[in-house]
Amino acid sequence: MSLAGKRILIAKPGLDGHDVGAKIIALALRDAGAEVIYTGLRKSPQYIARVAVEEDVDAVGLSILSGSHVDLVRDTVRHLREAQGGNIKIFVGGTIPQEDVEPLMSSGAAGVFNASQRIEDVVAEVDRLLDDA
Amino acid sequence: MPESQAGVLDATARRELAREISRLARASAQSVLRAAPIAPVPPARRIGFTGPPGVGKSTLVGKLVERRAAQGVSVGVLAIDPASPYSKGAILGDRIRMDQASGDPRVFMRSVSSRDSQDGMCNNVADILCAMEAHHFNEIVLETVGVGQAEHAVKALVDTVVLLMQPETGDAIQALKAGILEVADIIVVSKSDLHGAPKMREVLASTVRFGAQRAVGWTVPVLGVSVETGKGLDELEAALTAHAAWVAANRTGAETQARRACYRVQDLVLRRLDDQLAALSPADYERPVAELYQRVLEGLQQT
Repeated sequence: MSLAGKRILIAKPGLDGHDVGAKIIALALRDAGAEVIYTGLRKSPQYIARVAVEEDVDAVGLSILSGSHVDLVRDTVRHLREAQGGNIKIFVGGTIPQEDVEPLMSSGAAGVFNASQRIEDVVAEVDRLLDDA
Repeated sequence: MPESQAGVLDATARRELAREISRLARASAQSVLRAAPIAPVPPARRIGFTGPPGVGKSTLVGKLVERRAAQGVSVGVLAIDPASPYSKGAILGDRIRMDQASGDPRVFMRSVSSRDSQDGMCNNVADILCAMEAHHFNEIVLETVGVGQAEHAVKALVDTVVLLMQPETGDAIQALKAGILEVADIIVVSKSDLHGAPKMREVLASTVRFGAQRAVGWTVPVLGVSVETGKGLDELEAALTAHAAWVAANRTGAETQARRACYRVQDLVLRRLDDQLAALSPADYERPVAELYQRVLEGLQQT
């Protein structure tokens, strides 16, 4: 329950149209005590960064199934910095090939998750990442 | 219409206000009391939207704010969503319906959880609205879930209360029971493209004709609005303008301030009371009620 009082934005950048995974993670984070804001489908990194700053979130979870995760994460990191939200952590979930994990982490992601992970483990890891702050 | 830059926030101001709202939403009653009083600023026009879950408040607010911004009006939106009573976590979903508006530079939009608030508001909502006002928005919109006391709280905090109702006649009776019609300055039957909307408007219009608002000289309009088709939005904006003029002519600034100050004191005392009650153990409840009552009163005295 240490996610109590934390604010997390779950966002869907880019063009894929499936958000079941994003919603499941949103609910799991809520059940762990977090206040979760969800953007809805097909949002630009710029829009996501602005919402993240306005909502004063501790972290942004990007759900990406389209394959363009590396570009979208880089763009989101850049826009977050421009919007003075450089301290907001980013984690990424979706269909992410193993070889892309390292590029994502070096682009500024704090954590990368895929569909084979248990939800409890994802929540625990988000919890750990936010505790470091 | 104002075409100034008032209330158009740059990245720094946006970040600052966002943080200030978080701080206030978490602040205890004591820390609010200890804080320096907020320097008074010219009040923004405040509009509140309330009504049952799913009635379409966020959708309507999103559309209205989009239109206001296009006219050059800067708007600050505070949307309150309920917290889960189990985990205390929350899904703050109002934004998803305010898509178009929430990218506009003239708009600042923030969702907050009702946390442990009893009246459907968030903690320190009065202070949060003042903090938003300090950024000189032309208008401030407060959206709240209509549960029980929320309507009375919203009435104290805003200049104009818009109550949304679903186009099903069963709701009219519910509204009469709860007494929520009395607080409305404008009533909107949402989703008015749906079957049942004209009937609902009729029932509500005949009800408010005898309502409390009539005594103060304002005739509550009952409007059908469909965000889907856009029908009724012009009428709603006209009604908002008409009510603003009525408020300017009929309510003094002192009255408004008194009402808000009263809500603030009540909110702080009730939270102190909640803390006192939460501190009681099951064993305490074996004591006589008179003794507990005395103890809680004494607890409230301590600062």
